[in-house]
Amino acid sequence: MARVDELVSVSINEAGFPVEFNWRGGGYRVLNRPVRWFTRREWWSEASRVPKGVGAGVLEVEMWLLVASEGREKRHYELAHCAIGDKNQWRLHRVY
Amino acid sequence: MSGFTHLHAASAYSAHYGVTRPELMAEAAASLGMTSLAITDRDGLYGSVKHIGACLALGISPIVGVSLEVVDDEFEHLARVVVLARGHDSGIGWSTLCSVVSAAHGYDVSNVDDRGKKLARNKSERIAIRRGDLARIIAESLGACTVLLGNNSDVGRSVLGASRDEALKLLQPWLDLFAIPNTLAIEVATLLTEPNTEGSTLQASRMLQLADFAGVSAVLTNQVRYLTPDDAVTADVLDAARFLEPLGFFQVQPNAQAWLKPPRLMHALAHEVCGDPERARQLIRDTQLLADRLRLDPPSDCGWGKPKTPEKSTLGIDGDPFQVLQQKAQAAISHRYPSASEATLREVNHRLNQELITIGQLGFATYFLTVADVAQMIRDMKIRIAARGSGAGSLVNYLLGISGVDPIEHELLFERFLSTERSSLPDIDIDVESARRHDIYRNIFRRYGSSRVTLLSMQSTYRGRGAVRDSGLALGLDEDEIDQLAKNVWRLSAGSFRNAVGQKPELAELRDALESDRKMNLLVDITERLNRLPRHISMHPCGVILGDSSLLKLTSIEQSGMGLPMSQFDKDDMDPMGMLKLDVLGVRMQSAMAYAVREIARVRGEELDLDAIDRADPETFKNIRTTNTLGIFQIESPGQRELTGKHQPTEFNDLTIQISLFRPGPMKGNMIAPYLDGRHKFAQPDYMHKDLEPILRETFGVVVFHEHVLRILNVMTGCTLAKADELRRSLEDPRVKPEIEKFFRTKCTERGYSKQVIDRVWQVLEGFSSFGFCKAHGAAFALPTYQSAWLKTHYPVEFMAGLFTHDPGMYPRRLLLAEARRLGVRILPIDVNLSSDEYLVERHGEELAVRLAITDVTGISQAEIGRILAERPFSDIGDFYSRAKPSRKTFDTLGQIGALDGLKLGDFGPQHTRGDIMAMVRKLNSAKKRKPSEQEAPTLDFDFGDLPRGNPEPSNAEKVEAELRLLGLDYTEHVLEQYRPMLDEMGVVRSNELANLRSKSDVLVAGVRVATQTPPMRSGKRVVFLSLDDGYGCSDATFFEDAQARCSHILFNTKLLLVAGKTRRTGVRGVSLMAENAWDLRELWQQWSAARPKESEMLAS
Repeated sequence: MARVDELVSVSINEAGFPVEFNWRGGGYRVLNRPVRWFTRREWWSEASRVPKGVGAGVLEVEMWLLVASEGREKRHYELAHCAIGDKNQWRLHRVY
Repeated sequence: MSGFTHLHAASAYSAHYGVTRPELMAEAAASLGMTSLAITDRDGLYGSVKHIGACLALGISPIVGVSLEVVDDEFEHLARVVVLARGHDSGIGWSTLCSVVSAAHGYDVSNVDDRGKKLARNKSERIAIRRGDLARIIAESLGACTVLLGNNSDVGRSVLGASRDEALKLLQPWLDLFAIPNTLAIEVATLLTEPNTEGSTLQASRMLQLADFAGVSAVLTNQVRYLTPDDAVTADVLDAARFLEPLGFFQVQPNAQAWLKPPRLMHALAHEVCGDPERARQLIRDTQLLADRLRLDPPSDCGWGKPKTPEKSTLGIDGDPFQVLQQKAQAAISHRYPSASEATLREVNHRLNQELITIGQLGFATYFLTVADVAQMIRDMKIRIAARGSGAGSLVNYLLGISGVDPIEHELLFERFLSTERSSLPDIDIDVESARRHDIYRNIFRRYGSSRVTLLSMQSTYRGRGAVRDSGLALGLDEDEIDQLAKNVWRLSAGSFRNAVGQKPELAELRDALESDRKMNLLVDITERLNRLPRHISMHPCGVILGDSSLLKLTSIEQSGMGLPMSQFDKDDMDPMGMLKLDVLGVRMQSAMAYAVREIARVRGEELDLDAIDRADPETFKNIRTTNTLGIFQIESPGQRELTGKHQPTEFNDLTIQISLFRPGPMKGNMIAPYLDGRHKFAQPDYMHKDLEPILRETFGVVVFHEHVLRILNVMTGCTLAKADELRRSLEDPRVKPEIEKFFRTKCTERGYSKQVIDRVWQVLEGFSSFGFCKAHGAAFALPTYQSAWLKTHYPVEFMAGLFTHDPGMYPRRLLLAEARRLGVRILPIDVNLSSDEYLVERHGEELAVRLAITDVTGISQAEIGRILAERPFSDIGDFYSRAKPSRKTFDTLGQIGALDGLKLGDFGPQHTRGDIMAMVRKLNSAKKRKPSEQEAPTLDFDFGDLPRGNPEPSNAEKVEAELRLLGLDYTEHVLEQYRPMLDEMGVVRSNELANLRSKSDVLVAGVRVATQTPPMRSGKRVVFLSLDDGYGCSDATFFEDAQARCSHILFNTKLLLVAGKTRRTGVRGVSLMAENAWDLRELWQQWSAARPKESEMLAS
């Protein structure tokens, strides 16, 4: 396993599932039904404001574990999807 | 299959857990197209009545359950489950749910004794129910509740780690105990947490597989605790408040998924959990099937809206309650109207018949008899009682002795209290001596039986200070920092906190912090989130619920702070549930007056019936008019004092009017000035129409009372008074107001009133809705006002003793001391041989004086007081030391405040100083061990060596300093006397001289802060009123915004103040100060005395 933590651009389908992502110039196709979960963020030590309506993005992060391939080799990738306000970011967390 | 029902949803009434008010939750469910919704609050049915009411209004089916901890026989944790009541079963499901919840709080209500016996409570401190008890209660109901067993259980935890066999083994006892069909279901729920952890889809899938394997029904929930994902931040803060730990120091919720997800998303979750679409559809179908079983029919299940009163046998009545009521009322006429004229008696009889007809039609005879029975019980206990509220408008209440104000003499209307246009039980509120309130409650339980009585609860909600405190705690802020902030949060709603920080001068520091400090910004944000959320449940200060023997089948109960059981419903739940709430409010003034009457009897041998005194005593009104109203019920506040100066009341009805006028509504509506102008003949009263003159004569044309509105509508439209009260109530609802306006205009036009008059009167009525006051309520309050003024006028010593003992007012005790000094009432210091735990009146020849009570000594324990009272008299200090056994600290304190001055120092010589006493006290205190008590060694053998001699007597300043520090009472002299040299040099005016100054004089006043108020103002701007006591009376200073800004740092906290301002005459005896600036008197003193070393020696401290 390798920790990466880099911004990636992701295409999603209607259900919000990632189907493809771009990392370091390469295009990766998602090959399985990804596993999704939500994990915590510690807003009290990270956020600058938490007014009503700020959204759940200050508190949780959507995580995806999926199998993808650039062409030949299939590997497991972990993506994190953060949405706070109008900020909408995908990061590649880990490669297995 | 479409649709979905959430069967597991906590509301904000799950204190420190749920986030969303039930009404909002139900509204959201309805708008998401759901046809039913459950509420399952933690540990109680706290939000259920509001939930049911909201669902009924929205046309969806309410479902009610509870989330409870289940333990095994050794009280070890097994699970937190949801228990849901079956519906449409004539209330068996509902009453079973109530029994389950009460059992979790330690009350077994299944076999409650009908009369006399106390409801037993098991001693466990934990709110939890044993699995066996839960199964037994549900089995006894033949399966009227369903238990949902989910992730948070022994079974739920085992599916994550252990083998399926292990999980099945844990499931088996649940299956055995809940064998009746539909009493147990597996709760499948995923919060989409990390795979393999609690709340994950994997756990949900395994629970489903287990259910299928064991052949148990499974249902899907989302363990809802908030309405939207955004609310999860609030839930974090509530968790911190529940765990009493800052965020980061405990296991937080896994994510923000526990929200009220719409059916579409719940269906998607079902698919995610099941994998198989058919199984997913089945899961949703089973959830809906269970929901259908649980839909409540509130009238038949919960007794919704049906009034319930004790059975007549409980009241000792046989025969028709209505006839009994009629006989009792008629029999009392000769007692209440002993010397009435023919005409009055005719009026009384006519009014009585009218009231009885209404009561009969509504079927409320038992209700009135119940309240009368309680009132009689209280009188039999020799406790003072008075009515309050609209109930004083009823002649029946007056005749039955529930109220002490004659509604005919004071023109109070029955229709304001009760009419056939409404069918809810009316409120009859009674005031009693506060010190005896708990005795009354216990007696009510004894008299009617534990199955028919329970206390009422109330939910306190987060307001400014509490919200700041808990937010600060959640963020882990320093406690001093939180304290400092909370102290400056002065009566502002947490909901507009950020706004307030921008405006209020005392929050300026926080405003600066917001520029740069991230934590402070978070603090402000989460404080606003907490605003108005329920915080904790406690005993309502006065409510008792009286029902028939089915009461505990309709409400769940838990233990109250005083030990008696209380309902989990609050006062707003009473009307919908058809429950009879009796308000028995403890009023300290009633205790103070009762105490004064007892002291009068003890010291003078005079028996006084306060309820029978002349209500037109000129001396009493003369005394009130001086504005020295401190200690008089309702009219002692600075604002009322000022109004008294302008108003100059001369009769009982004036007090009723004054009490009613001094309220936010009339003040905002500018009703006081025209009334006073009319009264003092500065302006011709304007009655709008000659027909209204008889109605409005008493208030010079100003519409003050609800009763005025009723009469105006009655005269001008010809409708009945009952109908008029309905119209008055509807005026408050903007949606129906146009209808009422139309009715009013049409009827008045028909009856020949001109358009001009109609326009004017309508304008007044329309504006009135938020201002008015019920005259019956004002009159009921005016009675203790008058009685206390009468006592203060004729028995000032006994009255002051009563005030000291029961402390009924808004002012600190040391201000009472200043008032006693002003009245010439002698105050005697604490003396261990003479003081008791009450303020006793002592006779010294012709003069009466008040002896301070020993309870005021700071830090003295009940045990020490008990020993002192039991062991006295004491002959000398050594004797006191060995028999009263005071702690070192208490002994020292008693010495310093002079409580030992009356004791001899030793066997010889009565002449000694306070200094000698203190030397002796310290000598005894420094001994390692107390000498053995008298049995082993007689006092004579005491040998303390040489007795101290020649120590100096402390100065007055030193004595006052010790008194304030250790007693909070400056009884040697007023605390301000120490500063007199400086004050005189500065030309500071004494408060009793203010009335002699010309208006707009520039003055300085000084004093101790006795009250700070920020009353509502017409302009909406904040005005701060400060009242200062300087030993000569009170001066009142008004701070507008400019002045507030100049002295914001001392405005709310500093005790001793000097204020500069201009005098403003407000009436014959009224003067107040328009403040320009204020200073801390102690700081000024330091500066002043630094320049004059000699004078400063006066203040040795």
